[in-house]
Amino acid sequence: MSAHHCDSCAIHAELERMGVDLSRFDRVVALAGNPNTGKSTLFNALTGLKQHTGNWPGKTVARAEGGFEFNGVRYKLVDLPGTYSLLSASQDEQIARDFLLFGRPDATIVVADATALERNLNLILQVLEITDRVVVAVNLLDEARRKGIEIDLRTLARDLGVPVAGIVARTGEGLHALLTQLDGIASGAIATRPRRTKVSGDLQRAVDELVPLVEAVCPGIPNARWIAIRLLDGDAEVEAALASGRLAQIAARQQQAPETFSRKIALEGAQ
Amino acid sequence: MTVSILIVAVLIGVVLLRHRANRPARERRRIEDALKHLFDMEYRGGEATLSSLKGVLRLADRHVLALVARMQSLGFVRVRGQAFGLTPAGNRLARQIVRAHRLLERYFADEARLPLRQVHAAAEHHEHTMTPADVERLSADMGHPSVDPHGDPIPTREGHVPPAEGVPLTAWPTGSDARIVQIEDEPPVAFAQILAEGLHVGLRLRVLEHTPDRVVLTDGGTEIRLAPAVAANVFVAPAVDEAALTGAIRLTELPDRTRAEVVRIDDACRGFSRRRLMDLGLTEGAVVTPVLRSFAGDPRAYHVRGTTVALRRDQAAHVIVRPLESAWRETA
Amino acid sequence: MTPSPTDVIRRAAELREALGGTFRDEAVRALYAEAGEVARRAVRTQGARLDLDQRIDRIVTSPVFGLPLMALLLAVVFWITVAGANVPSNLLARALFAIEGAAVQLFDQLGAPWWLTGFLWNGVYRGLAWVVSVMLPPMAIFFPLFTMLEDLGYLPRVAFNLDFLFRRAGAHGKQALTMAMGFGCNAAGVIATRVIDSPRERLIAILTNNFVPCNGRYPTLIMLATIFVGASFPAAFASVAAAGAVVAIVCVGVAMTLAVSWALSRTLLRGEASAFTLELPPYRRPSVLRILYTSLIDRTLFVLWRAVMTAAPAGAVIWLLANIHVGGASLAQYAAGGLDPLGRAIGLDGAVLLAYVIAIPANEIVVPTLMMIYTGAGMMTDVTSLDDLQRLLVDQNGWTLLTAVNLMLFSLLHNPCATTILTIYRETMSVRWTAIGALLPLAIGFAVTFVVATVWRLFI
Repeated sequence: MSAHHCDSCAIHAELERMGVDLSRFDRVVALAGNPNTGKSTLFNALTGLKQHTGNWPGKTVARAEGGFEFNGVRYKLVDLPGTYSLLSASQDEQIARDFLLFGRPDATIVVADATALERNLNLILQVLEITDRVVVAVNLLDEARRKGIEIDLRTLARDLGVPVAGIVARTGEGLHALLTQLDGIASGAIATRPRRTKVSGDLQRAVDELVPLVEAVCPGIPNARWIAIRLLDGDAEVEAALASGRLAQIAARQQQAPETFSRKIALEGAQ
Repeated sequence: MTVSILIVAVLIGVVLLRHRANRPARERRRIEDALKHLFDMEYRGGEATLSSLKGVLRLADRHVLALVARMQSLGFVRVRGQAFGLTPAGNRLARQIVRAHRLLERYFADEARLPLRQVHAAAEHHEHTMTPADVERLSADMGHPSVDPHGDPIPTREGHVPPAEGVPLTAWPTGSDARIVQIEDEPPVAFAQILAEGLHVGLRLRVLEHTPDRVVLTDGGTEIRLAPAVAANVFVAPAVDEAALTGAIRLTELPDRTRAEVVRIDDACRGFSRRRLMDLGLTEGAVVTPVLRSFAGDPRAYHVRGTTVALRRDQAAHVIVRPLESAWRETA
Repeated sequence: MTPSPTDVIRRAAELREALGGTFRDEAVRALYAEAGEVARRAVRTQGARLDLDQRIDRIVTSPVFGLPLMALLLAVVFWITVAGANVPSNLLARALFAIEGAAVQLFDQLGAPWWLTGFLWNGVYRGLAWVVSVMLPPMAIFFPLFTMLEDLGYLPRVAFNLDFLFRRAGAHGKQALTMAMGFGCNAAGVIATRVIDSPRERLIAILTNNFVPCNGRYPTLIMLATIFVGASFPAAFASVAAAGAVVAIVCVGVAMTLAVSWALSRTLLRGEASAFTLELPPYRRPSVLRILYTSLIDRTLFVLWRAVMTAAPAGAVIWLLANIHVGGASLAQYAAGGLDPLGRAIGLDGAVLLAYVIAIPANEIVVPTLMMIYTGAGMMTDVTSLDDLQRLLVDQNGWTLLTAVNLMLFSLLHNPCATTILTIYRETMSVRWTAIGALLPLAIGFAVTFVVATVWRLFI
């Protein structure tokens, strides 16, 4: 087999290390979001009874994963711990962050509460720094309407540079549109231009200096800016991943991943 | 009978053996404590002597002398007349120990949330068993802090220590704003009094009056009186933003259902608590309104960035806010 | 030339030092500035509408009404559970014991040996039948009610209302949430302590979770409350009085939780209260389907299944203990006799203690075990109604109000069940904390019941 095959093995190895069994699925989707945003309601709405709960490997943090099918593609949905941020070192945040950074899911749905969008954007912007394959699901639209809050989804999507779907997870409203966008992101049909947070002054200069260095060490890395910021923060885990070459390997594979997946699907179709 | 004698003998043997086995560890601990003391004295521009070492190590003269001789033979210390000084090698080692000590103090204050008067002892207890890798991990986990909870700089991995920037409160001119940069934790009595008055590193204050028997200062709200001997243990530097004292209050002082803007989270709030407050959106410029008050008035719930979040008083006190001019008050 | 990873890391460290200590603040501030900017463009709020949530919250968390409202709600939930479970429990018991009767008859007709019939039907099956009939109805009522409060968003308000107590005990306000979960199942409560970030406060919550009575212990509490408290009131108020007695026991449990938390945070787990941030999410209309699913499948059936799995072997053990005779007395009689002095000292008897030893796998089976021990031969006389039970306990085995009170206390204060102990170990990964979590409540239970019994005997 060609080198491509091993690339896909290696990505799967990273995911398997995080306890994701890929044997009966085509794509992996992560579900992120603040606590109390109806994340688990969306998870249940998408996966129904096809779910499995347990703990993250070696951690006392609950995890849930389930499967669903859309347009003939079998998705594995991994529910990440609900967090306000990805910056603090709490166990939950570390798990969510590691999954996005090292697991490189084919797409990530970030669930946001329409009644407190500003607070939720804090997490959305952080996720956008790590991965560009994101769909934002603005949930609880009904509650927002009741409170007289109106969300301009189109402006939001333009500002964030990724697709945005308005949903009411409890009733199923808007789920089809969400899945269509998810399909586009996971297959690579929709190109995104994720918004990157502006920093200023000395911090900006420090980031500007580090980004080319990170890119030189890990060619093709999609989130050099975020890595640079984490290195400035002295994030021991990111330092270790950079030093061991784990980040460079993942970056190298990431570039080939869409091709690998489409090939995999094509192969299975031919059988 | 014979059995019990045997058991006692074995027990005594075990105790003696453990004592012996502990000897290298005990010596290491003493050497490290002595190095720390020598470093401290040099950093402050003073000199360590036999009596100052005796005070720190709580040992008899002959033991201190033996220890100094041992450190001399290891090449850490040189003796000049009455005073002991660090050699370059001793200085390097001392910085590592001081680094471990101050990082541990930071850890015990911020993450383990021990009361400030206990962190020194807790750090003393743990610093001698840390490997360099442990120290680095600890520093990284806490985001590489630059000062310990008393405001003393933490030496960097490379051993760099920035010079002390503060002057004693007793030497600060009246009427101008200052920020506490460091508080001496020795002697414990003075330290306890300083803590009891609510003074902490990062607090902004103004000296109102100082006479030979007292120093009077204000943190913007309450007046605090200190004996000059106590005030001399508090070191201050010019306040960075002079505007901070004007019109800003603590979130705990904000009346119910009054809107205010967050100015900042004060420097005494560190570690996980600080990160969590910021994650919840209590950052500069956020509009915050106290909306609910529980039984006994603590905790209170605040409306911020579209959500309602409950905070205890001791945390909300770290959030500095400025009431908004357009504040609406409920008439009811 | 390509830099090496270590060069990059070293350069980052130098830059960090140059930036000073404000780096993290600056990063979060920038994120929120950006979030605010995006939100301003995308969100439109039409005037200030009356916020219903806040108006409800002002009542629910009010310094005046908050706590009484909470106690009332708790009492109502218990009352609905007690009153509602009675009839279906009796029907289930009748049906299940009728099956037993028929099966025994059938076995006899087929000529099965007495020990086989006894072991299978009077041992294993009887344990099962009791557990199902006693536990299923209250759980099927309690769990949906509890899940509804949870879904509604009421529980964080409970934590808000009670935090002032936990703060004084040196514990975390969210411990109230884990206790609420403990009402369902202590193992679930121990797992729920994950919401507490501080390891110190989380350990306190884990070690004290057992002081709230779980579902497996309600049947005991409810039964005793009904027989000894409810029965001394007119029939119309009996269920209210019984619910009141259960609430009183729960209050003792809460008080004990606070006292032990306070003691722990001043001895083994010293430290100051950590960050307490509690989000009060908007009230949400509960979804009926989800409530039924979560409470019936996830909770009721889960707990029931666990109970059934332990009840069957326990039924077998009891039957064997009661039917293996050595020198004229059964093993159960020997064991109960051996434990009797200790039992008497704490106002109970040896049979109760033996029942608690056998019931370590699951607390649910304490009462059926006790019945089997009392009735000897491992078989209950036909105890299908509470009147029969009262006759058995009071007339035949000399129970007094003291026995009932102390058994209620002991049922609240004793070692956690095997599942909970295992869960404590899994969550703490420490034999030491697991041992403390198991033995501390037991020691307190002995101490409290001993004091109550001694004082009672002196003055009453």
